[in-house]
Amino acid sequence: MPLLDVRDLSVSIPTPDGDVHAVRSVSLEIERGEIHGVIGESGCGKTMTGMAALGLAPKGARITAERFHFDGEDLRENAARLRGRRIGLISQAPAAALNPVLSIARQLDDVIRAHRDMPRQARRAEALSLLAATGLPDPERVLKSYPHQLSGGMQQRVVIAQALATGADFLIADEPTTALDVSVGAQVLALLRKLVAERGLTVLMITHDMDVIAEACDRATVLYAGRSVETGPVAAVLQSPGHPYTRALLAALPDAAPHGARLAAIEGSIPPPRSAITGCAFAPRCPQAMAVCSAEPPPERRRDAHRWLCHLPEDAA
Amino acid sequence: MTPAPMLDVDTLVIRYRAGLFAARPKPAVNGASFRLERGETLGIVGESGSGKTSLLRAILRLLPVESGAIRLGQDWLALKGEALRKARQKIGVVSQNPFLSLSPRLTIEEILAEPMLAAGQRQGAAMREKIATLLSDCGLPADFLARRARELSGGQAQRVAIARALALEPGLLILDEPTSALDVSVQAQILNLLSDLKESRGLSMLFVTHNLKVVAHISDTLLVMRRGDVVEFGRTEDVIRAPAEAYTRELLSFGRKAATV
Repeated sequence: MPLLDVRDLSVSIPTPDGDVHAVRSVSLEIERGEIHGVIGESGCGKTMTGMAALGLAPKGARITAERFHFDGEDLRENAARLRGRRIGLISQAPAAALNPVLSIARQLDDVIRAHRDMPRQARRAEALSLLAATGLPDPERVLKSYPHQLSGGMQQRVVIAQALATGADFLIADEPTTALDVSVGAQVLALLRKLVAERGLTVLMITHDMDVIAEACDRATVLYAGRSVETGPVAAVLQSPGHPYTRALLAALPDAAPHGARLAAIEGSIPPPRSAITGCAFAPRCPQAMAVCSAEPPPERRRDAHRWLCHLPEDAA
Repeated sequence: MTPAPMLDVDTLVIRYRAGLFAARPKPAVNGASFRLERGETLGIVGESGSGKTSLLRAILRLLPVESGAIRLGQDWLALKGEALRKARQKIGVVSQNPFLSLSPRLTIEEILAEPMLAAGQRQGAAMREKIATLLSDCGLPADFLARRARELSGGQAQRVAIARALALEPGLLILDEPTSALDVSVQAQILNLLSDLKESRGLSMLFVTHNLKVVAHISDTLLVMRRGDVVEFGRTEDVIRAPAEAYTRELLSFGRKAATV
């Protein structure tokens, strides 16, 4: 049984101008011990999927799903209880996740104290060992520091230490490296991989960056207009993508074209979040669209563990 | 003889002073030398703290220079006052976040008119025509004139920012992380637009980014900076094919392999 088992999740937010369909139909199966990437462009629903799993969807949001389970528990009822106990969040901006006027020692201790019954000296030892586990040199000095005295990479390591301090075994990392320099981001990703291997963590990695997927993830799910359109092992998704959207996304990258040549930009824009979609959401922008594409929902295509939704037959991919 | 370069920077040193009696800190830019040929794009890559922003600010004369020379058609560091103000109109600037650089209170038409009015051009039919041309050159429909920045997507807003930078017909365009806040598919559109504009207007560009793959695609020459030092400068193909520095190799090896540069 997957640790996170999501089947046909939808999140709608009612507004005076009609419902905003932030997530239309997302299915995710995340196995224990894997780093699972969720990739998509702005507005495709990747962050809202993560927020729903944390019980942090906006007030009034309607969450429906065929299945929305974490380790056998229904997230619709238990997300708030699981958050901070078994599910942790690593956000994009570590500086915003840390309190600027409290020392790291105090902030880390607050988390440890809230979750574990330990005497003060033991908590301090635990804080030091957590900071050391995230690869921070000189944890003693970090403990005495305030967030502004640390670099972005160091701040992100402190946030990861905080998530570990809760005892969480499932981390939702929402663009954890976007605000960091490439080489620092690579170090943070390497740290996450190490923690997954050493502590048996499972990570849902939300990103818009194919390089992050390639660098850190075992499997990936591609989201488009609030729907999961493709999922599979990273090598299969990146090297032989099945869905035309995934292909278009990869072709639009600057290193996909010869030096100086025109890039294959995707024409058009994503469907507005309030509109209803019949058929395939990508059909209006798809270079291979057929009449059936905008009329009927696409069937599932499959090549071993690699699955995608498309009217085109498998061999066309 | 080769024609004079657009921009020629020679052993430029920029140092921020901590205080009157404080020890002299390491320079933010430590003797940078490079040139940008006319009609070419120079990519500047580096992490935060590498000195790339200081370098840009010095070229825009927003920062004092400790030593070294900048030639931009003339002795750029000797210009003062009104002469500097006039000369600087020949540089267009596009920054990372269009929603911060475009006034939320003005319509797109007013935004595009602003630099021309500031340069003393008269309002009228000629200016309106110029604004319409700028808009269409940057791939935006004419009915955008009455809109405001918040009604646009990130990619559309960045096109407006590029159109504004071109309003005074600059020869040099400085782009500071122009696609870093955009989605991949939109980034591709903006990079294509920049290639078109470079072609049609004969622009020279300084393209600053932390994303080596983006800059490797669009630039003719490449400058890699680290902690104030220029660690690599050369034709893009040469730098990519045979990076001299371990640091450049590290940047290139991140993520998906099989880069076809």
